[in-house]
Amino acid sequence: MSDRPHLLEFERVNKYFGETHVLKDIDLEVDEREVAVVIGPSGSGKSTLLRCTNRLEEIQSGEIRLDGTPITAPDADVDRLRQRIGMVFQSFNLFPHKTALGNVSLAPIEVKGIPESKARERARTLLERVGLGDQTDSYPSELSGGQQQRVAIARALAMDPEVMLFDEVTSALDPELVGEVLEVMHDLADEGMTMMVVTHEMGFAREVADTITLMADGELVERTPPEQFFDQPTTDRGQQFLSKLL
Amino acid sequence: MGTSHSSHDAEASGSTQIASDETLRRLSMAVAGAFTLLVLAFLAILFLGAYIPVESFGEGFVDYSLLVQILTPPSGYYTAFLNVIGVVVVSAITSVIAGIFVGLGRVSKTPFTARISRAYVEFFRGTPLLFQLIAVYYGIPALFGTGNFPIQNFGWPAAVIGLTLNHAAYTGEAVRGGIESIPEGQMEAARTLGMGYVQSMREVILPQAWRNAVPAVGNDMIILVKDTSLLTVIAFPELISQWQYTYSNTFDAWTPLVVVGALYLLITVPLSSIVQRAGSVVETGDRR
Repeated sequence: MSDRPHLLEFERVNKYFGETHVLKDIDLEVDEREVAVVIGPSGSGKSTLLRCTNRLEEIQSGEIRLDGTPITAPDADVDRLRQRIGMVFQSFNLFPHKTALGNVSLAPIEVKGIPESKARERARTLLERVGLGDQTDSYPSELSGGQQQRVAIARALAMDPEVMLFDEVTSALDPELVGEVLEVMHDLADEGMTMMVVTHEMGFAREVADTITLMADGELVERTPPEQFFDQPTTDRGQQFLSKLL
Repeated sequence: MGTSHSSHDAEASGSTQIASDETLRRLSMAVAGAFTLLVLAFLAILFLGAYIPVESFGEGFVDYSLLVQILTPPSGYYTAFLNVIGVVVVSAITSVIAGIFVGLGRVSKTPFTARISRAYVEFFRGTPLLFQLIAVYYGIPALFGTGNFPIQNFGWPAAVIGLTLNHAAYTGEAVRGGIESIPEGQMEAARTLGMGYVQSMREVILPQAWRNAVPAVGNDMIILVKDTSLLTVIAFPELISQWQYTYSNTFDAWTPLVVVGALYLLITVPLSSIVQRAGSVVETGDRR
């Protein structure tokens, strides 16, 4: 796509759930600072692709590399690689027994061994950055869905990841709360974060994405800049998908 | 199809035909009242029977002079009572710790560990505690040959070992249930942040699982108190053996029985209210 180095590389990635072939020979590169939006009908393998990227799912053949390091190698240090890959889930998955601040500071303390006071200070800064500076002591059950998801983003950022994966992060939100989460993601993109975003928010895709990747039935169908995709998809599948959206 | 149909019918008729809410309320009060009266009458006969001035009314009622005698310190009942509390406290701690490991083993992704833990639970839930106590107290020394067993007062250790082996199985199942009630996403979120399996368990899963397990574990601790009565067969000086001692000397069954019952309740009733309070703390959530 550009002369910037590839940060994430997928090479002939195949994934099966039992007999079902859910990822078919996926080849894909995500550049540094790129916002790669992945779209497609449900069941097309978008989320699976993200989950394979930090090995929440194992692939059966092919390779996924982060900055040249094979993530999917059997002897890869998974815990170490995961620190470099942030992930935000559709269902937030905040730790309910910890405050917002506790959620954000837990992994830096536990994994990186950062002193507690320093980790908490950093967590406060991150929560302020996602607009939740006044909710640091709230428990997840006391926050709205949009606030919870922003805490989840701050939690992922606390590990200083090189790339962020967003798995349908606004799908479980009430419509009026979608905007605040997308806004945070927009800011992140502006700051140059490399992002892989699975979403159904076409407005966001058109506005923020550097590339649109269309998946269908486990295959990577089309990969184009958003202007081109939304105006004139190059493939029939792309046109079909767009026509269903309108 | 048949069952769902008939249960539906029963439900419908229950609310519409058999009785109105008001009648049901009165009926339940009548039953409860009658039950209370029966219990009170029984207690009255038990405690006051000796004073009923009717020739050959019966005997074997609570004998107050014996009651005073067995409650006057130094009394074996107090020692037995403290022994029960002691063995319960120690065994509760050991069986909860062991139970956490059993529970972790049950949810292990390693088939060997999971199977071993499963077998452990099946064995210790599937055989009577009495059998296990006998196996520990009589069986283990027997393996050393007559007179060669090095531990002199084996009653205490055997009691703790037997109760722990048994209750770790039940606590382990409670812990497993607690862990399995935590959504998969919690482990995924922790692992995604780069935390290892053990770290994720310790920091994320177990603190939540523990809250869910508290009511079941608490229940088991109450059962643990009552299970100490079985220690009488391994010559552990507890309450039932005190009863036996008094009974064989006086042939008075009820006087020591009343004492024994009261002493058990003295442990279990406060314990049960602690368990209930712990359960409600769990529901409202932790505010450290």
